[in-house]
Amino acid sequence: MPETTRMVLAGEGGQGVQAIAEILAEAANEEGRQALYIPSFGVEQRGGVSVAFLQIGDHAIGSPKFLRGDVVAALSDRAVRRIAPYAGPETTFIYDSAMEGVADDLPRNAARVMPVPAMEVAKKEFQPRVYNMVIMGALIGATGIIPLDRAKTALEKKLGYKFEKRPQLRELNFRALERGMELGRGGMGGGLN
Amino acid sequence: MSEELVIEEKRVFMTGNEVVAWAALAAGADIMYGYPITPQNEVMHYWSRLAPRYGKNFLQTEDELSAGFATAGGVMAGRKAFTATAGSGSVLMQEPMAMVEMMRLPTVTVVQQRGGPSTATVIYSQQEVALTTMGGNGEGMRVVYSTAGHQDLYDYTIKAFNSAWKYRFPAFVLGDGYQAKMREPLTIYEPEKRGITLLEPEPYVGREGKPGQDRPPAQYRNTYNLEEELYEKLMSDIRDFEKISAEIAEYESMHTEGAELVIIAHGIVFRAVGEAVSNLREQGLRVGGFRPVTLRPLPAAQIKDLVAGVKKILVVESAYGQMARLLKETACGAPCEIHTMFKPGVGIAAEEVEEKAKEILHSQ
Repeated sequence: MPETTRMVLAGEGGQGVQAIAEILAEAANEEGRQALYIPSFGVEQRGGVSVAFLQIGDHAIGSPKFLRGDVVAALSDRAVRRIAPYAGPETTFIYDSAMEGVADDLPRNAARVMPVPAMEVAKKEFQPRVYNMVIMGALIGATGIIPLDRAKTALEKKLGYKFEKRPQLRELNFRALERGMELGRGGMGGGLN
Repeated sequence: MSEELVIEEKRVFMTGNEVVAWAALAAGADIMYGYPITPQNEVMHYWSRLAPRYGKNFLQTEDELSAGFATAGGVMAGRKAFTATAGSGSVLMQEPMAMVEMMRLPTVTVVQQRGGPSTATVIYSQQEVALTTMGGNGEGMRVVYSTAGHQDLYDYTIKAFNSAWKYRFPAFVLGDGYQAKMREPLTIYEPEKRGITLLEPEPYVGREGKPGQDRPPAQYRNTYNLEEELYEKLMSDIRDFEKISAEIAEYESMHTEGAELVIIAHGIVFRAVGEAVSNLREQGLRVGGFRPVTLRPLPAAQIKDLVAGVKKILVVESAYGQMARLLKETACGAPCEIHTMFKPGVGIAAEEVEEKAKEILHSQ
């Protein structure tokens, strides 16, 4: 892994890309590492593609803006088009394999293009609402950017109040996260090139 | 009942706007006046959430004109008062800030720059440099700290209150939308525990004693009848400002000694420059970096030294030369080549700076 891992995540509002980036950043910070997370935002209140930029490393992070991500993940067809320019020769480009009609928009210069059946898995094995957990797991699996237990601690911090009321939610989220990790490690799907 | 404020020294992870609110608390601010504008809104949100807990106040005014004048009123009443704004709000803020300059009032204003002109973007820029340093119909008698991230936002917000009350010129913390919205770690602390003495505010009006007998009468004016009268008053302020300039001015430099090219940037852009300079030096290129931390007053002596001893400089900013104009004025007459990379309203990545630096070094 490079000194600083740079990630770009994009999806539709409500898919949880900002929450994922924030939890990953918090988890890395809790580990004593350096992290910088910045949401991109426009004047639109809803309906736009939501993009999160995240950098995690062991030294002070430089500019919040960068041109190429080590990991670029798109959760919707519009998101693929929006963030494909962040892919370069060293990028792992992750997208949800449930998307249709994006073949022509996938970056051709990426080191690895990785379809992940996160939506399918979330729907079939869990519930659609833990989709973002599956995705977060896939990102952790693909990059090893933070240890699983740190991710769980960060989740506990963010959602602990909900878990207290309904402990089965904790179980559901953690299982979705672990399943996502398996997907990210390349157990399924594999690369295109 | 309000709680006593205790800031335990610790590493935290938060947005820049939240950092500003905590820093203002740490600095002993009594009241914030403000009007919402992205990307500074959360300064108000966090402050108005935190403030009542510690017996502090918040007033949302009807616009930025009013926020600025209310801040002036706050400090005249002897309170550490501050405001925060951005973009078109900064434009409106210039009218009260001009009066504040005239009356030498120690206000603190946090500016989180967004794209301009007009409404433009709510995101980011470095286009409020001219406005923050030299805005208003005056001579720019202001102290402006340009921050490059969260530790800076904390440190310099605290410092801005002290500089304002010490020198009695308005102080500004010039951030931007990136710093406002991003999250990164920083260490918060109680200033006194770091050996920083917080200056006590004192009222301008309503003081004890009989004016003219127990104390000099308080007369604070923004109106003058005679040209000569105004001239005398302004020259006195200008002399004061020039006298303290070297004391206030701050900068950061890296590898400037013996460098062939020095890249100059302020604020968050210097982080891209820092990254680029490290990479270029690893490649054996003699490149340095220089960052004026204070944009008003500029670290003039260091800039003059720098441009006298280097062959080439590259000025990088997310504006079309707003800082470069200030630099050129200071560097006037220096024989070095001045190259520029201006990207108004757009963030700058280290890779772009690196590429531009190489282009300059290879074109001889």
